[in-house]
Amino acid sequence: METKITKDLTIPKLFVAKCRQYGDSKVAMREKEFGIWIPFTWQDYYAKVKRICLGLVSLGLKPGDKVAMMGDNRPEGLWVEMAALCAGGVGVWLFRDSMSDEVKYIIEQSDTRFFIGESQEEVDKGLAIFDECPKLEKIVWDDPKGMRNYKQDCLISLNRLMELGKTLDEKEPSLFEQLVAKGRGDDICLLFYTSGTTALPKGVLLTHYNMLTMGANLMAVDPCKETDDFVSYLPFAWIGEQMMSVSCGLQVGYTVNFPEEPDTAMENIREIGPHVMFAPPRLYEGMTRQVQVKHMDSGWIKRNMYTLALKIGYAAANMKFDKKPVPFYLKIALALANLLVLNKLKDHLGMSRLRKAYTGGAAMGPDHFRFFHALGVNLKQIYGQTEIAGIAIVHRDGDIKFDTVGTPIPGTEVKIGEDGEILCKSPSVFLGYYKNDEATQKTLLDGWLATGDKGFIDEDGHLVVFDRSKDVMTLSDGRPFSPQYLETRLKFSPYVQEAWIIGSDRKYVTAVMCIDYAVVGKWADDKKLNYTSYMELSQKEEVYNLIASQVEMANQDLPEPAKIHKIVNLYKIFDADDEELTRTSKLRRAFVEKRYKQIVDALYQDTDVIHMDTTITYEDGREQHIMTDLRIQKLNV
Amino acid sequence: MSSVWLPCGDYHQNYSQDQGWWQTTLIQFKMLTLLAVAFIGCPWALPQDWHWVAWVFAALGVVLGLVKIIADPPRLKGEWVLFPFILAVLLLYRLPDYYLSVLVMIGYYSMGALGVQLLIGYTGLITLGHAAFIAVGAYVSALMVLYFHWPRFIIDAGLAYPISIIVAGVIAGFWSILFGLPSAKVKGFYLILTTMAAQFITVDFILTQYVAQIGGRGQAFSLPPGTIKVGPWVIDSDVKVYVMMAGILTLMVAFVANLLRSRVGRAWVAIRDNDIAAETMGINIVTYKLMAFFVAGFLGGVTGAFWLSNTAALSPEHFPWFLSLWLVGIILIGGVGSIHGAILGSLFMVLITESLQWGVLPLTDYYDEIANTLDPGRFKLMLDWLVPKLLMDFAYIKEMVFGLAICAFLIFEPNGLSYRWWQTKNYFNLWPFSY
Repeated sequence: METKITKDLTIPKLFVAKCRQYGDSKVAMREKEFGIWIPFTWQDYYAKVKRICLGLVSLGLKPGDKVAMMGDNRPEGLWVEMAALCAGGVGVWLFRDSMSDEVKYIIEQSDTRFFIGESQEEVDKGLAIFDECPKLEKIVWDDPKGMRNYKQDCLISLNRLMELGKTLDEKEPSLFEQLVAKGRGDDICLLFYTSGTTALPKGVLLTHYNMLTMGANLMAVDPCKETDDFVSYLPFAWIGEQMMSVSCGLQVGYTVNFPEEPDTAMENIREIGPHVMFAPPRLYEGMTRQVQVKHMDSGWIKRNMYTLALKIGYAAANMKFDKKPVPFYLKIALALANLLVLNKLKDHLGMSRLRKAYTGGAAMGPDHFRFFHALGVNLKQIYGQTEIAGIAIVHRDGDIKFDTVGTPIPGTEVKIGEDGEILCKSPSVFLGYYKNDEATQKTLLDGWLATGDKGFIDEDGHLVVFDRSKDVMTLSDGRPFSPQYLETRLKFSPYVQEAWIIGSDRKYVTAVMCIDYAVVGKWADDKKLNYTSYMELSQKEEVYNLIASQVEMANQDLPEPAKIHKIVNLYKIFDADDEELTRTSKLRRAFVEKRYKQIVDALYQDTDVIHMDTTITYEDGREQHIMTDLRIQKLNV
Repeated sequence: MSSVWLPCGDYHQNYSQDQGWWQTTLIQFKMLTLLAVAFIGCPWALPQDWHWVAWVFAALGVVLGLVKIIADPPRLKGEWVLFPFILAVLLLYRLPDYYLSVLVMIGYYSMGALGVQLLIGYTGLITLGHAAFIAVGAYVSALMVLYFHWPRFIIDAGLAYPISIIVAGVIAGFWSILFGLPSAKVKGFYLILTTMAAQFITVDFILTQYVAQIGGRGQAFSLPPGTIKVGPWVIDSDVKVYVMMAGILTLMVAFVANLLRSRVGRAWVAIRDNDIAAETMGINIVTYKLMAFFVAGFLGGVTGAFWLSNTAALSPEHFPWFLSLWLVGIILIGGVGSIHGAILGSLFMVLITESLQWGVLPLTDYYDEIANTLDPGRFKLMLDWLVPKLLMDFAYIKEMVFGLAICAFLIFEPNGLSYRWWQTKNYFNLWPFSY
C-alpha cells in the first residue's frame, strides 16, 4: 500500500491504519524466546500498544510529555515507544550501556516524567538518579528477574501498567482512538540525543512528519516488500534503527524480528536471513574479520576454494565498480564461484536473502566495501544524521562508488557551502535542539541543515564526504592526510580492532593500535605464546611484529605523507565507557588525545618505552588503576 | 532448539515446526531417496518391456532441469530436479537375491539393536539380555501360528501371522517389564547382571526346557510352507522377506524417532543424562524406566516374530547370549544414542563378516587348485593345515573380528559411526570454513 504523507498524518495514525489493514492475518514482529521465533500479529501489536498507552495515560501522561526508554531490542520496547507516541508523548531513547551520569543528564535535560527500563539493571540506574531529577515521576519495569524486593513507590511493572490501561479502556472504550486522532504531523514525536564526538549530547527534536517523509523517500529509492524480514538488534537510541524499525517498518509493513539476547544477535540474524539490513561500519568490519579468521583456520581444500572464488568475486565486483560489462567467461566463473563457495558463505553470514545492505553513521573503508561486493552483497553507503531524521543520501543500485556516499533521496537538496561544508534541505530536517537555541541557530541556516562535514559533489552527481571537517589533518609541512581513511585501511587486517591515527601538525604520521583480543589470542595460541590478559598479549614482541607487518602492508599503497612511521599497541581496547568512543563507536579524537597525552608525546620523541600510569572505568562505575610500560615500534617506511 | 542445520532464512515459529520430520527440502529429499532405494531400488526392476517407464522419468527430469535453468520457480528446489533421474535408475536395476539376504540380516540386527539403543543409548539402562525378548517374540509368534485355533476367515485373509507379530511384541514387552523391575532399585553394573538373568532364565531355562518341547518334536519348531502369510502373499522368497524387513524396519524407526520427539522421549533422555536431576524435575523415573523396558521388549518381540519369516524354523540356539552381546557391540560401533547408530552398526558388522567370507571362500578354492604345484616343505605343510582350518572354524573368526572391531572402535572412534556421519555432514554444512 502506498502511503501518502500529509501534514495531518502521524506515526500512531499510520500504526492504527496498518493494524486495521492486516489484523490477525500478518505477523508484525517476532521475538526469539525458548529457541523459537514467537510471532505477534498486528492485532496483538495493537492490543498491547493500546493497553500500555492507556496505562500511561492513567498514570497522568499528557501530550508533549517525555517518556524515556532504555533496554534491549525487544517487542516491548517498540510497544512502549508506540504507546507513548499514541498518547501524544515524546519518546526519548537511551543507550542501554549508558552510565548513570549520562542517564541523569538526558533525563534531566529532556524533562522526562516517565522512565521505562527493561530490567533490574535499568531500574537501578533510574533509581540512582531518581532523587536528583525532580520531574521524573514513575519508573516502569518489564523483566521481573531480580525485582522481587523492590518496593519503592515510584516503581510499577509493565503488566500492572497494562492492567491499568485495561481498566481505563473498559471505562472509556473510545479514548485510545480519540488520543490517536488528536495528533498532528507537526507534533514532536522523538527527542533524540546526538552522540556528539566533541561535546555533551544535544537533544534533536523530530516531528512525525520528519520521520514519515524520510521513510517514504528512502522507500521510494529502494522499495521493500511487506513480506520482507528485518532484524532489529542495534540500539533503538540510534536513529538508523528507528528509521528501519519504525518509519520504514510501519510504512511498508514488513516483519521486525528481535534476537534472543544481544550476544546471540549474529546467530539470530543468520536464522532469519533478513531482506534488508542497516548497520554501522563496525558491524560489517566485524563480519569481515570473522570471515578472514575462519578462512585462515580452515583446511587446505576449503581455503583454496575460498581464495579462488573470492578472486573471481573481486574481478566481477571491480568490473561493476568501473561500470564495464562483465565478460561472458567471467559470468560463468562467477556462477561457479557462487555455487561452490559464495552462496554458502553468504548463508553463514545470514545474507543469502539480503537484497540491500546499508552502512552509515561513520566512514567505511574501501577494502571492506569491495569485500562485500565481491561476495555479491549489495552493500550501499547511506549518509545522514539524526538532525535529518536519519538519511539524506544513498547509493542507487548499479551506481555504486565506494569513495562516495551516493546521491540525494527524493525531496532532498544538497549543496556545498562556501567553506566546503555540506548543506542539506528536506522535509525531514529537524525543528531544532531542545533547550539549546544557540546550537540550533548555528545548525539551521534558512531551512538548510549545516552538517558539519566537508565534501564535494563529483562529476556523476555523487556526494563525496571528505571527513568530519574538524578531523581533516595536515602535517607540519602542510601536506594533508585523512586519519579516518587510514584507520579504516588498518582495520581491514583481522588482527586490528581499533586504530587511532595521530599526526596533526606533526612531522610524520603515527598510530595507536588496539589488537583484536580473540583473533590475536587465537594466533598466539597457535604459536604457543603464553599470555594471561589483553594487556600482556598486546605487549608481546611477536604480537608487535605481527601488527607491524600488517601496518607495513597497508603502508605500501599509501601516499608518502600518509605513511605510518611508528606504532604503539595500546594496553586496552577503546571503550565507550571510558568516553573514548561515542555510543555509536566513533572515536572521540580530542578526548583520546588529551587522555593519552603521554603516548602522543612519546611517539614524537626519541624514546622506545612509555611509562603509563592511569585508571580505567567499568560500566558499573568501578575503577582500576593501571601501571604498565608500552613499547614503541618504528616501522620501515 | 532444533538439532537440524537449517539454512539461513529458515526459522521456526512454533515447537511443532521445531520438531518436524522434514525441516528442509534437503532432508525430505534424502529421506524419500532412502525410502525409494529401500523399497524400489533394491527389490524391484522393471521387466524388459516396461523399461520405457524409466525413460519417461528421465525425460521428466530433463524437463524439470530445463524449467529450473530457464524460469527458476522458487518452489522448484534443485533436489527435485535430481529425483526423477534417481527413480529412473532405481527402476532399471535391482540387487541379486544374495545381497538381499545380506540386507535381511542387516535389517534383523538393526531391529534388535534399535531396542537396545533405546535402553542403553536413550535411557541409560545397560542391558545384556535383549536376545531373550527377541526369543519370546519368536516363540509367541510361532506358537500362535502353529497351535492357535484361528477362525477360518482370518487364515484365509492371511492375517494370522501379522496379528501374531503384534501379540508377540506385546507379550515380549510385558516379559521385558518383568525383568526391568529391578531397575527401580539397581543401576549400572548390577543392572547388567539382572538383565543377563533374563537371558538365562528365559532362553536356557524356560524356552529350552519347556516351551521348545511343545509338540514333542525335540527342540526345533518348523513352520510348514504357506503358514507364514501376510495378506495374500506367502513369504517364501528372498525378495518377499526383504520387503517384510524393509517395511517393519521403516515402521520401527519411525516409531522410535517419533517417541523420542515426544514427552516420553525427553523424559528418557533426562533420565539417561542424570536420573536424580530428572526426578527432581518431576519425572517419575520408575514409570519411565519400565516404559522404556516395555517399548524395547516390544521392539524385540516384533524382531523375533519377523525372524520366523526368514528361517521358517525355530530353535533356542538362534538366541544365544552372544546375540545379546552382539547387539550391544553393534550400538557401540554404530554410536550410542543415535538411531543411525543402530543401522550403521549392523551394516558395518554384517558387511565385515560377509566380506571375510568372500575373502576366505575364494582363497580355499584357489588353494585347492594350486596346492599340488607348490614345493613340498614346511611352508606347504603349514598352509595345508591353515587354509582348511580358516573355513572350518569360520564361526570363531567371526567372533574374533567382533572383538577386534569393538576394541578398534573404542580406541579410534569412541563415538561410533554415527558421529563420523555427523562430522561428514558438518564438513559440508560449515563449508567453506572449519567451524
